[in-house]
Amino acid sequence: MVTSFTPRSLDEAIRLRQKPELTPYTGGTDLMVNPNEDASYLFLHRVPEMKRIVEDGEYIRFGAACTYTEVIKHPLTPNILKEACLKIAAPAIRNAGSIGGNIANGSPKADSALIFMVADAKLRLCSAGGERLVPIKDFYLGRKKLDLRPDELLVEVLMPRHGLDNYYHVKVGARNALAISRVSFAGIMDIEDGKIRRCATAFGAVSDVIIRLDQIDQMLDGKTISEAKELKSAYLSAMDEAIVPIRGRVGIEYRKDVCMNLLRDFLEVNGI
Amino acid sequence: MTQEIRFNLNGSDTVYTGNPADRLLDVLRNELRLTGTKCGCKEGECGACSVIIDGKLINSCLVAMGSLEGAKVLTIEGCTKTPQFAALDKAYESVSAVQCGFCIPGMIMASQCLLANNPHPSEAEIREGISGNLCRCTGYNAIVKAVGTAAEEGNGLW
Repeated sequence: MVTSFTPRSLDEAIRLRQKPELTPYTGGTDLMVNPNEDASYLFLHRVPEMKRIVEDGEYIRFGAACTYTEVIKHPLTPNILKEACLKIAAPAIRNAGSIGGNIANGSPKADSALIFMVADAKLRLCSAGGERLVPIKDFYLGRKKLDLRPDELLVEVLMPRHGLDNYYHVKVGARNALAISRVSFAGIMDIEDGKIRRCATAFGAVSDVIIRLDQIDQMLDGKTISEAKELKSAYLSAMDEAIVPIRGRVGIEYRKDVCMNLLRDFLEVNGI
Repeated sequence: MTQEIRFNLNGSDTVYTGNPADRLLDVLRNELRLTGTKCGCKEGECGACSVIIDGKLINSCLVAMGSLEGAKVLTIEGCTKTPQFAALDKAYESVSAVQCGFCIPGMIMASQCLLANNPHPSEAEIREGISGNLCRCTGYNAIVKAVGTAAEEGNGLW
């Protein structure tokens, strides 16, 4: 039986999420490419808590049903996220597609998820039994495999408020508009008083999940630029070993070369 | 099982009784016979099926009917009754921006949305505004010129 629901509150949405036959639907830009006549949708665009962008002491909290356009236009949105969202598709897709859908679709090519990965954002997952906060890196378990129970809903994405200003972002696509990433890269080098407070990188469209090698990036944390220069070759060779592209529409060698070239450029523009 | 979905279509309150998983594009063309909205790719790549939902440009091929409860939908058929359309129509004609015509309903919807949000766009902003609308005759320069002309000639309409 096909019955869809449009909850008006988070409580109602969470209660309905207990019905395993309902598919959460925000923008529809992925789901409707291969529409399923038998699908019963849980339309989430009228849940206020999932449509707002607010801040608290630590985080900017993005409702998972916010569209790319809403994210781009909001004054709280950090530039790194704004820039990445502006490179997604074209206006009509950005008016419908949501960040929650981009994350929960589980694609390693997801352009906004790349930014949430490099920012070490957290995901607020709610169910009738309670809620939990999961680092986005831990949310991706493998190819299209998510740490999301069938009764859980991705409600908000929590992005750290500070330390995201010095960023580097490149999306390599075959054209400007409506392009699927061939390789995407985001880097953050948060430097204070000549010391690297936090180095973070993320690589999209390379492996089963977005690559986030935080343990290697941490080699540079707490270092001065000249100390980082000394560590550069060890850092790059650790990255070189760890980044292993899977087979895709675009060649493995090409994608690997682009990853390493972008990583080197990211270091160079930061004087490393 | 069918559900009743209430929305406003081109200014008239409408009830769609059907499967909430149906695509808006299919309903417009096949059931309501509003065939001005074109079907090009059915995957959000071409923009031929663009409509305006609650003031926003949207690809109707990627919209499930159930998501429209309470929404305002404007198709090219509704758009043609507006003074803004008259200005766009004249401008497109004045620079011969229409070749085969297949992309044009979507282009008009994109032009209308762009100008409603930004009445005096730069050339780059026009190109961005129609970046999701493909013209396989590749007549982009004339279309960009037409939107610029409409903005000038229709000054005050948007």
